[in-house]
Amino acid sequence: MLHGYLAFSTLLFGIGLYGLLQRRSLVAMLIAIELMIAAISVNVVALTTLAGRDATLGPVVVLIIVGVAAAETAIALSLFVAIHRESTSIDVESLSELKG
Amino acid sequence: MNWAGAVFGVSAAIALLGALGAVGFRSIFHNILSFALAMLGVAGVFLSLGSDFVAVVFVLVYVGAVAIAMVYAVMLSVPLDLPPRPRSRWKVLGAAGFAAVAAGAIWLVLRPALWIRPGGRPEVSAANIGVRFLQDYVLAFELISVLLVVAMMGAMVVARRSRVAGGR
Repeated sequence: MLHGYLAFSTLLFGIGLYGLLQRRSLVAMLIAIELMIAAISVNVVALTTLAGRDATLGPVVVLIIVGVAAAETAIALSLFVAIHRESTSIDVESLSELKG
Repeated sequence: MNWAGAVFGVSAAIALLGALGAVGFRSIFHNILSFALAMLGVAGVFLSLGSDFVAVVFVLVYVGAVAIAMVYAVMLSVPLDLPPRPRSRWKVLGAAGFAAVAAGAIWLVLRPALWIRPGGRPEVSAANIGVRFLQDYVLAFELISVLLVVAMMGAMVVARRSRVAGGR
């Protein structure tokens, strides 16, 4: 049973990583990061519930992760707005001002 | 197969399908809708683990996240009726290969690991989580509050500054 959860979270993390590397829109890349964070949360809860001595620890850690992810999303979306104002595009391939 | 296993199977299938749609579709709208489906599936996975509080939190938080992401997608992305720019096939293949190798490496580490056997299946209630947050993890709880306030103020500053400085 535990290995089913571990396999599921590994697959979800892989899909998120693929999306992060392959997409060009910053909003789509943020969605891919959220998928990876969800995979990590499933992993934490599965490990503390099915293989550990303290089942309450998993939800506590996941709630902390959700809080950090919310902060990260707020900062990311405001950065997208600032980037869009400067260059009228959020396509990562056209954001190359810092390229040497 | 017991009920938890059945719920896990169905929810995991929904979550993986939604995740594939969230990264696979070309239209950002379809991505966001698939992302909502994936998060519903992940909430079902939490339910099958007995963590109903976390499942409810995921549904609530990510419904809000989906609504906000839709607003930003409308505001920031190119018009949806324009033809999509062609993308390099090597980049897609490279991303898929790298993700597959990374997931395989994670699985190779996770699978043979010897996990501690659980001592029964203890009850996880919202009351227990609240007690934990206000006793053992009160510092982390306060730090999260501070982090959220700082992030919110920082988001406002970052989104405002270019308009003030650049005059656009």
